[in-house]
Amino acid sequence: MLSIARSELIQIFRNRSVLITSFVIPIAVCAFFLYQHELFAQVGSLGYIAGIVMFTVCAFGLYSTVVTTLASRRQNLFLKRLRSTAAADAQILVGLVLPVTVIALIQVAAIMTVLGVVAGGPENAGLLVVAVLVTVAMMIGLGLATAGVTNSPEHAQVTILPVTLGVIAVTTWVGLTGTEDLAMLKRLLPGGAATELVMNAWNGGVALSDSLLLLAPTLAWVAIAVTLATRYFRWDPRAASDQRLAIARRMRRSALRDR
Amino acid sequence: MTSTPVIDVERLDLKYGDFHAVKDLSFQVRRGEFYALLGTNGAGKTSTLETIEGHRVPTSGAVRVLDQSPRNRAAVRPRMGIMLQESGFSPDLTVRESIGLIGALTRRQDRLQRVLSIVDLTSKAGTKVSQLSGGEKRRLDFATAVWGTPELVFLDEPTTGLDIQSRDALWDAVDKLREDGSTIVLTTHYLEEAQQRADRIGLMHRGTFHQEGTVAELTRTLPAVIQFRLPGTSPALPLPGRRESGGTFLIETHQLQKDLFVLLRWAQDNAIELRELAAGPTRLDDVFRAINNH
Repeated sequence: MLSIARSELIQIFRNRSVLITSFVIPIAVCAFFLYQHELFAQVGSLGYIAGIVMFTVCAFGLYSTVVTTLASRRQNLFLKRLRSTAAADAQILVGLVLPVTVIALIQVAAIMTVLGVVAGGPENAGLLVVAVLVTVAMMIGLGLATAGVTNSPEHAQVTILPVTLGVIAVTTWVGLTGTEDLAMLKRLLPGGAATELVMNAWNGGVALSDSLLLLAPTLAWVAIAVTLATRYFRWDPRAASDQRLAIARRMRRSALRDR
Repeated sequence: MTSTPVIDVERLDLKYGDFHAVKDLSFQVRRGEFYALLGTNGAGKTSTLETIEGHRVPTSGAVRVLDQSPRNRAAVRPRMGIMLQESGFSPDLTVRESIGLIGALTRRQDRLQRVLSIVDLTSKAGTKVSQLSGGEKRRLDFATAVWGTPELVFLDEPTTGLDIQSRDALWDAVDKLREDGSTIVLTTHYLEEAQQRADRIGLMHRGTFHQEGTVAELTRTLPAVIQFRLPGTSPALPLPGRRESGGTFLIETHQLQKDLFVLLRWAQDNAIELRELAAGPTRLDDVFRAINNH
């Protein structure tokens, strides 16, 4: 598993476009939120800034890189190559997503640390850590599921849009308007409860027991994402199976003609 | 060679949707054997091979490899080397990194320099896979398959895209593997490679075996052919034959030496020159053509 993770890290750092789109751009966006933290704290709260930077990194850094990487590794048969070894499927997947996950966690930790230093730290750091970890798990699960319906890295530019834009929209909605209205809907949307959890951890003022209840929708999304991933994730390129089915159909037609 | 089966396939069925890709296929590969799985296009050999390798789950039937289920990767893969039909290496990794990664994941021990020298890629060790030629990628693939001298080696179209020198080097390495006791399973479109090297051949057609046996057993079923052209007029042939549209005469025989002698004596007695005379035993190509015309 660690040898796969090491090779994955090498590949990430050798691929300039992945490095820029998945790691540099999210950091640049987060830097903008930090630079304008007084403005965003005024329209939302510091907790909102923590939530939006977490989801910026998790959506554009972690999630999109997981989808693109897995689609690319499947397309060039690297996944099949890895499955030709003694490594178990779980080891392969963990090895592939481990580097990008660690990078995302370091990015989130660094950005939140800077936010804490310049604007004041979180009220409950432990709860914040839990919120970040659950969010990361949810985004990895959604990444695996999305990778299952993504044929190529190019296709990923389309397939990642609903989740990336969706979670950013939900985070912004919850962060700016709170959950006084439409609380149930906002908490059930992907990222809604996680955003509220981060806001509670950072801003304080909410009983820990109430905050912990917010873990349930996020964990439910983790479960949904893992279920979808189990159902949709593919190790072989779809093109190959489609091609085989096409050949099969052609042969059947030909056999019927011969008959 | 002992008779212990390294691969035991019993009544294998494989379906894609409603298409029956492999039908009721049974065969065994013995320890130390060189077994070639050949077939016409779409015959089901890649599906069969991928099932034996553990990449596919059979619809029904049983497959045992090294006395284990091939799906039990932790138990089987350290003893098995696989050369895939297509490379499947990351373009951003170097040759050294690629072999090192796959070598580590096979859990077999070997030295990088030894494997690099087998496939003549020592000078390319630091080159990224994206900068390798097609033939060099095939050699890299072979290097990962033979890492640690596995007991069982699958070679799927191993020489496609290789120049003659690289082919010879690859077959020398395969010969060395066999000397070390490895069992080889080959699929190829180069029939002469299978004819020269395989102990036994399984010939697949439309999802099942058309024939299985040694080269001699497979070719025995078809007659050898004597062909020649005759000058303008000549007496009746001493053997039954037929004239092709181009003017070439064909005589099919199961007794090549005897009938060739009869023909030559007839030509000698009648002072006839047999132009473009050619005669030879049945080849696998002929068996393949017979299957396709079946």
